[in-house]
Amino acid sequence: MNAIHPIVLHGLIYGGAIATVLLTLTAWGIWFERKFAGRMQSRLGPTLVGWVGLLQPLADAAKLLQKEDLIPDQADRTLYLASPPLTVFFTLATVAVIPVSVDVAVANLPIGVLWILALGGLMVFPVWTAGWASANKYALLGGMRAVAQGISYEIPMVLSALVPVIFAGSMDVNEIVTWQAEHHWLVLGPGLFAFVIFFVSSLAEANRIPFDIPEAESELVAGVTTEYSGMRFGLFYMAEYLHTLVASAVASALFLGGWNGLFGLADGIHWMLAKTLALFFMITWVRWSLVRFRSDQLMRLCWIYLVPMSLALVMVSALWVYYEPMLGGH
Amino acid sequence: MTLASAARLGVDPHRDLTDYDPEADLMVLNMGPQHPSTHGVFRVKLYLDGETIVRAVPYVGYLHRGVEKLLEELTFVQATPIVDKNDYVSPMTNEQAINMAFEALLEVEVPRRARYMRTLFAEMSRISSHLLWLATFGVDMGGALGGGTTLFLHCFREREYILDLFELVTGARFHYNTHTIGGNRHDIPAGWAKRVHQALDLIASRVDEYLDLSTKNAIFVARTRGVGTLPAKLALELGITGPILRASGVDHDLRRDAPFHAYDEIDVKVQTEQAGDCLARAHVRIRELSESIRLSKLLVDGLPEGPICGGRPIKNPTQFKAKDGQAYVALETPRGELGTYVIGGGGNKGASPYRLKIRPPSLHALAAMPYLLVGGTISDAVVILGSLDPIMGEADR
Amino acid sequence: MLKTEAYRALLESDFGVQEFSDKTPPCIEASEHHRLAATLKERGYTLYGFVAATHMPAVKGAADALELAGHYEVATGLRCPTAGSHIAIWRVRLGLDEELRTLVDLFVGADWQEREQYDLVGVRFADHPDLRRLMLPEDWEGHPLHRDYPIDTPHPPWR
Repeated sequence: MNAIHPIVLHGLIYGGAIATVLLTLTAWGIWFERKFAGRMQSRLGPTLVGWVGLLQPLADAAKLLQKEDLIPDQADRTLYLASPPLTVFFTLATVAVIPVSVDVAVANLPIGVLWILALGGLMVFPVWTAGWASANKYALLGGMRAVAQGISYEIPMVLSALVPVIFAGSMDVNEIVTWQAEHHWLVLGPGLFAFVIFFVSSLAEANRIPFDIPEAESELVAGVTTEYSGMRFGLFYMAEYLHTLVASAVASALFLGGWNGLFGLADGIHWMLAKTLALFFMITWVRWSLVRFRSDQLMRLCWIYLVPMSLALVMVSALWVYYEPMLGGH
Repeated sequence: MTLASAARLGVDPHRDLTDYDPEADLMVLNMGPQHPSTHGVFRVKLYLDGETIVRAVPYVGYLHRGVEKLLEELTFVQATPIVDKNDYVSPMTNEQAINMAFEALLEVEVPRRARYMRTLFAEMSRISSHLLWLATFGVDMGGALGGGTTLFLHCFREREYILDLFELVTGARFHYNTHTIGGNRHDIPAGWAKRVHQALDLIASRVDEYLDLSTKNAIFVARTRGVGTLPAKLALELGITGPILRASGVDHDLRRDAPFHAYDEIDVKVQTEQAGDCLARAHVRIRELSESIRLSKLLVDGLPEGPICGGRPIKNPTQFKAKDGQAYVALETPRGELGTYVIGGGGNKGASPYRLKIRPPSLHALAAMPYLLVGGTISDAVVILGSLDPIMGEADR
Repeated sequence: MLKTEAYRALLESDFGVQEFSDKTPPCIEASEHHRLAATLKERGYTLYGFVAATHMPAVKGAADALELAGHYEVATGLRCPTAGSHIAIWRVRLGLDEELRTLVDLFVGADWQEREQYDLVGVRFADHPDLRRLMLPEDWEGHPLHRDYPIDTPHPPWR
């Protein structure tokens, strides 16, 4: 124990704990999504495995584990094998800087927001290489669409994530949450539009409907994941839910006040959890109601609407922060 | 097609490439017979430049089962259950079509009650077919794991009411074998009319929900407006009928224009749109759904009493014989004009048809694919194919 | 749009058809096939109906030359999409090695329909841009709807 640097130890313990909680939440998220979808569609959802089907994710995992491990003959083996774990890795790494409770995070980086956005950008790579390495035209098309969508929607995401940074005056996520705790939640004030843009961009980054063109089943069979089976597919599947949860967590921290409580109730991890799950619920709701965009409409939405709006928002926030004290600031 | 007809119609004459040109640097993507959204076994070879389709070559025949040859071996009486499986989504109209053709050939009268019943069943079949179309259209657009599935399951829930009603009459949910030469085999049980009204009222009340999930949904409209525009002239030349033709602006409906059975006693309001794109077809079908609900209620209230079959009761598969003669009878199915051309005087001493040709509306609709797909993306291809509503069982027979 | 009487009058005056019957569509010469379709199209029959070919095998001791040798009978229908919606149907008889002129230059829909009749029945269409099989695989031998093609003909399993 003495040989390990305290920061590393802190990281291992807290990181392990948060990762475990997050992965459990992912499993719970899969169950919840299927139940909710069932109820929206006048049916029950999973009911057989465990009480009200709560063990369904375990059953899914067991099923995926016992499938044949297929690697297409002409696939690029290294990229093919590396892509699924990399998607999970980058997604999980993002959580390192999110404060789950007051001053509790795996790593309190002063450049927290930059870390999140950078890893968000890196998340596109494994999807892309999976599409390329599968030696399948459908997967290739899915991968290309994922890249186009991913890099396009990063811009409004980055710009709208700048709004909390401008208001709080720091890129440290914990400081942003603390600022919100002291003043007001950003979403309840000037950050509302930024929150909406960030939310929509995160949906697009996570390839969720209505932005799930890269894995559009009705067009591309299974898009990027066409040639994957068994647990490799399971990793992509898990990464999608994980990404959704992480995006919800990031949005809660940056805009919804993180661990800060409402109505003067005690701050803590329970608020963080509640907000993250509330956003996850909204994302699920959107998924099961809407049909998907076509790829060019998706691009148009990003470049013609979201990018100028987020640019304008950054400027407005900067001006607001600058002039607010002079206007008899609140 | 020839260069002259291509010029006349203003379409690209090279719309069917059977050999691949390697200089063209196009990617060939096969939306093969197995695909989540080709509506049955249908194959279309797409030549792509990036994501834009430059050429599309459709291939049919994967579900060809030799129905016409089979029906030359079977007798008139035995044809009904075979033909059920052509347009497997609205089987009542298939049976009606073939029996009407045989009645024309054999000169058998259909009593009034049977005519009303057949029309009523056809209209209810139209409701269930359009519900299924809307369901699969939603899945095409939103995926099997997403908002499209919600629409899918809602529509199927409603369709179950109609299938239950049919089960009460005929005993089968799907392939009924209830039409026969001269009328119907199964009569309507007591209390059925009330249940029809209940079911139809329920469906009518849900039509607004469908509109919310479809034609009033901004993303749905964005995916379908301006996509796959079919000019009326091309549609007429291809022989496309039904909702697709009406969505391109041509006011033609066999129920009103060449009425058969009870359609000459009721007033059918034909729904048309001018745009000719996928959204127009969606509008036409959903409005037709409402119109069919109204017609079904009228028909079930006005059912006359009387016998349900004008031919002799069936004791023997060869009891109806035709020495010669030819007849063509067409009726309006949810997909368009289903025609049956039958020549009498076949085997089994004239108890079988000599030749039976079924004119399927879906095959004509599929012939429009090369024209509609060019210039769009793969996403558009899926939406266009869904909006044409082809049923491969009928197209391939 | 013509009604049945007017249609028959047209056939009688312009195409030399003498016999009409209620049971079968009128029969015209094979060489007049395209001209009739063009005439009807000008008169408003713009909706392509159907084409149905039948193989009539040789009948021993028949009076008619075509019936003696075996022939194809092709029935074509064109519909007028205005109110009343009359469908004009006519038949054409041609010998087993004759070709019928295609209607593709008038109606694009004739492309696939004629291909299907060639595929299943075997009747060939002259000037068709791409006469190949539609329903059956390209390497299929024979035309299944020939009257002497047995219904249980085995086809060698492919690939």
